[in-house]
Amino acid sequence: MKIACFVEAYNFIVKSERSALMKFKSTAETMGHEFEFIYKNDISKIAEYDALFIRATTDPSSSAYIVSRLAEQSGLKVIDDPHSIRTCSNKAILHDLFYKNNIPSPKSILFHGDYSRETLDSIFITLGLPVIIKTPYTRFSSHVEKASDETQFIEISKHLLRKAKVLVLQEYVQSDFDWRVGILRNEIIYLCKYCIPDGGWKVRSKINGRNVWGDTIALSRDSISPGLKELSIKLSKCVGNGLYGLDVKEINDEYKVIEINDNPSIYDGYEDTVDGDIYEKIINALVS
Amino acid sequence: MIIVSEDEDEGDSNPFLFLGQPVHDSVLNINHDYRYLRMGYYVSAHAETFGVDVTPNCTEIMDAYRNPLLIEKARRHGLRTNNYRLITSARSEIDAPAVLFAVNPFTNNSMKVVDSGSKLPGMIKRMSMGARFPVSLHPLTGEVLEIIQIFGESTNEETSEFAKKFYKIFNIPICKLIVQIDDGGVLLNHCEPALKKEVKWDIVHDKVRKIKQSV
Repeated sequence: MKIACFVEAYNFIVKSERSALMKFKSTAETMGHEFEFIYKNDISKIAEYDALFIRATTDPSSSAYIVSRLAEQSGLKVIDDPHSIRTCSNKAILHDLFYKNNIPSPKSILFHGDYSRETLDSIFITLGLPVIIKTPYTRFSSHVEKASDETQFIEISKHLLRKAKVLVLQEYVQSDFDWRVGILRNEIIYLCKYCIPDGGWKVRSKINGRNVWGDTIALSRDSISPGLKELSIKLSKCVGNGLYGLDVKEINDEYKVIEINDNPSIYDGYEDTVDGDIYEKIINALVS
Repeated sequence: MIIVSEDEDEGDSNPFLFLGQPVHDSVLNINHDYRYLRMGYYVSAHAETFGVDVTPNCTEIMDAYRNPLLIEKARRHGLRTNNYRLITSARSEIDAPAVLFAVNPFTNNSMKVVDSGSKLPGMIKRMSMGARFPVSLHPLTGEVLEIIQIFGESTNEETSEFAKKFYKIFNIPICKLIVQIDDGGVLLNHCEPALKKEVKWDIVHDKVRKIKQSV
């Protein structure tokens, strides 16, 4: 089989990401398949391949969406498929998805910029303080802010609403780490803790003016608790049959889903440290 | 069927109210702008997440508003297009005159008509934002027209049959189409949001009334 891997130049900058991409290539070739990196100039050639694996950042506005949709229409196996991209890339849509499917998650409200006294009171009574403010298109902890009081809330939300039609307001849930559950075709393929760096409140925090990432601690996928496993698969099935990374908080033995991502990070020496067969599993999903 | 419209006289609900409620019935979403991250898109996405039928759905929206997807779908359904190419930099084999559209997340109303080959490299560099995003290049073979398509009707008589076919294929209630007219008829080049003031709302009201009567 001939697999296209859609990438952009930035995917090769960080050594661990570059190395993971090369592992995908060598794994596919060892399994008897062709594996070619393709770029946005190659989009129109997509029908020449049997499968598409996207590693460039996905978003419905990106070139990755175009290649995904063209590949789907040409009958290729596709990871990430267009539906998964559209659903997971938008936190306002995830808000609806969690509500519709009774997925336990921090309390959240969609906000369009109504600053009436009644609305503000309702927000703070429902969510408490501090409150998390997210744009729908947040990625890698960007465009996610925390407001400690009403003044800060108004200032931050007005700033973010300059570019977004809607914001997701969320109850703040404090934790030392987020579970990252890697799922492929509704099966767990890896499990990690994405730690919150000291002095921060999200996985990538600004500390003393610098962006700092927390540590990644990989654990055996077999060690996942039954509760987390059940919740992760339930949510994954609500989106589709692709490759996803779920971010989940654990509070007093209860789980609350923060988000489900398509196109999850897979870096050599991070997500693959314990369950090293994730490369093989993903290639298998593309060719079977 | 719930009619969700930005036009207050028209809808059973407006987009802001609609997004705050669960959805249990099929939805007709009327908006002049269905672009991703705009209110028109969110209405369709909200309905879809609740598992109801919606016109237009998100796949249809994205297929219409992303130029390469538009052209490929048009071709598959037999709607006339010309040989577009996706490029990020100018090469010697690219000829003018041409019509160019930016394929990036930020630009609307991006059409550029380039008559001279010497202007192409600079234009492509600007429109691709320094080769970061593709540019869709269409040969210029006829007269370029912008038309407003409303439920299959066109603001231009010459393109009325074409608008009917477009609506049947793409299911977008309101949009602006950029076409070329040559000896063979109408060629599709691009689809983008209409400006609110460009929409003939009396046609919209009439169409919606008929749809309501038929359900």
